[in-house]
Amino acid sequence: MKNLNFQVNLQGVIDLLSNHLYSEPGVFIRELLQNSVDAVTARKRLGHTFDETVKVEIFSSHTISFTDNGCGLTEEEIEQFLARIGGSAKREDQDSADDFIGQFGVGLLSCFVVSEEIVLITRSANEDAEPLEWRGKPDGTYSIKKLKRQVPVGTTVYLKAKPEFDDYFEYYRVSELLEKYGQYLPTPVMLIEEKYERTINESKPPWLMDKPEAMAYVEGIAYNKPLDIIPLTSVIGGVQGIAHILPYAVSLQDEKKHRVYLKNMLLSDRMTNILPPWAFFVNGIINTSSLRPTASREAFQENDLFFAVRDELGECIKRYLIELANRDADLFRRLVLIHYASIKTMAVEDDELYALFIRHLRFETSYGELTMAEILLDHRLVYVTTTLDEYRQVARVARAQELLVVNGGYVHDLDLVRKVTEIAEDVTVDILNTLEFANQFEELDLEDRLTVQPFIDQSDALLESFQCRSLVRWFEPADIPVLYNTNQDVNFFKLAEESEQRANELFADIVHVIRNDLYDTPYAKLCFNYNNPMVRKAMESNDPQLRKASIELFYTQALLLGNHPMGPAELRMMNDSLLQFMNRGLDGAEVAR
Amino acid sequence: MKNRYDELRRSSWSMPEGKQKLLVLEEMIRIADRYMTEEDAYNARTSYFAAAAEAGTQERMITAFAWCLAKYDQSPGSYSQHEIMWYYKWVIGMIWRFPVFRLEQIEAVFEDFKRRCIEYGYSLRTYYHKRSVYLLSRGLTQEATECYKQWRTASRDALADCRACEQNAFGHYLFSANQLKRGMQAVKPILDGKMVCRSIPQATYSEVMVPLLKLKQYEEAVAVGKKAFRTIKGPQFIEEQGVFLEFFTVTDLPKAVKIYNETIRYGLEYKPSWERFNYLLSVRLFLQEWHRKKRRKKLVEDGRVTLDWLEQEIASLADAFNRRNGDDYMLAYMTDKETHMSRMIEAFQQRVE
Repeated sequence: MKNLNFQVNLQGVIDLLSNHLYSEPGVFIRELLQNSVDAVTARKRLGHTFDETVKVEIFSSHTISFTDNGCGLTEEEIEQFLARIGGSAKREDQDSADDFIGQFGVGLLSCFVVSEEIVLITRSANEDAEPLEWRGKPDGTYSIKKLKRQVPVGTTVYLKAKPEFDDYFEYYRVSELLEKYGQYLPTPVMLIEEKYERTINESKPPWLMDKPEAMAYVEGIAYNKPLDIIPLTSVIGGVQGIAHILPYAVSLQDEKKHRVYLKNMLLSDRMTNILPPWAFFVNGIINTSSLRPTASREAFQENDLFFAVRDELGECIKRYLIELANRDADLFRRLVLIHYASIKTMAVEDDELYALFIRHLRFETSYGELTMAEILLDHRLVYVTTTLDEYRQVARVARAQELLVVNGGYVHDLDLVRKVTEIAEDVTVDILNTLEFANQFEELDLEDRLTVQPFIDQSDALLESFQCRSLVRWFEPADIPVLYNTNQDVNFFKLAEESEQRANELFADIVHVIRNDLYDTPYAKLCFNYNNPMVRKAMESNDPQLRKASIELFYTQALLLGNHPMGPAELRMMNDSLLQFMNRGLDGAEVAR
Repeated sequence: MKNRYDELRRSSWSMPEGKQKLLVLEEMIRIADRYMTEEDAYNARTSYFAAAAEAGTQERMITAFAWCLAKYDQSPGSYSQHEIMWYYKWVIGMIWRFPVFRLEQIEAVFEDFKRRCIEYGYSLRTYYHKRSVYLLSRGLTQEATECYKQWRTASRDALADCRACEQNAFGHYLFSANQLKRGMQAVKPILDGKMVCRSIPQATYSEVMVPLLKLKQYEEAVAVGKKAFRTIKGPQFIEEQGVFLEFFTVTDLPKAVKIYNETIRYGLEYKPSWERFNYLLSVRLFLQEWHRKKRRKKLVEDGRVTLDWLEQEIASLADAFNRRNGDDYMLAYMTDKETHMSRMIEAFQQRVE
């Protein structure tokens, strides 16, 4: 038996890694910076003392160089670094010296995106190491030669731009990218062009700032003053950071853009998931030392550690909110006001935050818009509807009955209201059954009931084909003639009817079973208000034609007011009944004239 | 009416899955039926399918599907064949879950699906997949195993679930057939993070928790439980929520209370079905444990959901399934489940002590 290796086309692999791993060409700057910083760290680990620096120099004809005085490379290490690519990510100890070599190679590959050749001059920090020059091409060929002249310990990388990437080698562009990625690096980074020289990273990282500094900093970059700054720390993730509370409302659908640094180097300025999804009222600026980056170093590996860190950061935000409620009631209220949707989502997800926020949340109720605190002040029994339509059907009447009904039709409101018993044990929350709602109204006395029965019978007969049943009660407010409640299943039933008629034999039979064995026929309810003068008048009429027209008018008006779709039969009914009244009225008027 | 339709459609996009969304979509279908083209009515229904399934009302999905299938048969050129077959796959995965349907009806639907697969040139992989799960629910182990083999050997095509979902389904099948170790092997690539999709690995967590407990791998089970119980939500997953309820009843009662309070509303709204049956079995286990001590805290719906009521409901559901299946397999199913649960509770408590 012979063991063989796969033959891999090196050029293809380099192309794949360099052109498809990274999201934008500018990352070569970050990779070179990272290599320099890693080399400096590695040399420090050897116990050398030296003034660490990284120098980036811009030459004419679109060439740049990156120079560090880190540990440099030996010939053997150079031989290794391309061989180690791919092996690097799997090593357990990211900081080990071997790994530095592997990462170095991957980092260097990103340069092939913008450059046709990489020239590397290096002298290892090992004693008696000779200066070396390495030249590599994207087809995988390279040469190494020993240099005669002396060079200091460290590494310099020279790149010449491919024509289409010229602008990445211009002063302004390099400067911008260096600042973006490296402005908080601990090693001084100098940018040099001819005689002009400046240090890129003089500023203090935001995660080391105190609150006023951080506020000013965020205002500077975001052009508006944050509501407040929340300090973030995670011990297990080695995280320090700040979250600034946005001074304006954000949509739940918006992608979050947190700025995340790995050991002070910018990893991504648009990371979506380093904070929990409910925390969309803040933007984070975070530095971590122990999360593992992916191969492209543009995101983190989403392992258990990652999620543990995320939870820990979420805890920081939560603790801040709890503390804020006690410390600064005014700011707390503003926060609730601005980030209402976010807070609702949080409150549903988390019991502690629920207890903190629920009293401040506002609900649409039969008594107008109220906060939960206001609701709990006067009411021990709270009804909530499961849908908007149900709420609309009963709201006005409920108010007159002195019932507190909350509209649970908006996102999260039903869940928020149902949970209220967890913080107020003496309160009862019931889901309102609109169809049985009318049953609680005052019944008529026996005599009246007998009088109106023919009217109700007539109404039942007229509306049977619309699956609507009638009843009569005395209720407030008097200006509502009828209360019409649909059964929520009514549309589904029409749909099922359609299906049964159209479907093939097999499925018609199945739908038949669903309609008859799984559901009851849904009747809507039309409750006449005996307290309303129009209803009284119609009921007192002896003319069956007029009574018919009145019932039809009451019914169709109720449909119109409730926004219910009208079928052709119902439209015809409305027109006929109106015409009846018009005929009577107009004919009468003509006779009178 | 087109305006109203568009307005409803717009609002449906931002709605969470559930009853409110269903009502909006039903109104849209009604409007489309009355005032718009047949194509509009067809499309309104296809967007209703997922919403109905996710709201835990699979019978509504089947109802709307029946209409679409008829329209497809009338003019196969006007509608996508793959789409109708894709949803048909859902239907054969759902229909046996309702004991109101007669066995002949269920068989006829499977047969019709199979016939169409052959006629339209699809592999029978999906057919065997869904059928093996159905047969297993009736305790027909031998027939199910036959089907399982056919499922694994038939070729994959566009009708099959995605690879991650199928891998999960292999696990599901093996766990249901009580082949725990093989099941764990099947879902290993998922748990290792090598296969993911929109619903994997979340769906896998609830699959493996009880098997892990049965295999006495308590630490792993607890780790999965912690990670998983927040990832599935909504009425669609009531059976899975039941698994979490059982799991936390054994390992962490306060969390079980939370799950119960959040899900019982969905459980009660479910029509008599396989999901409701299994969920209520889980609820019974939870309530039995809950009532071992006197408690001050009140549970949601405590007036309605009592142990007596549960006994009745469970018995009537088991009876409905038995009558439909013409045997008494459900009794064995329940006994088996109870034995496993009590063994697990005992083992877990010993571990804690």
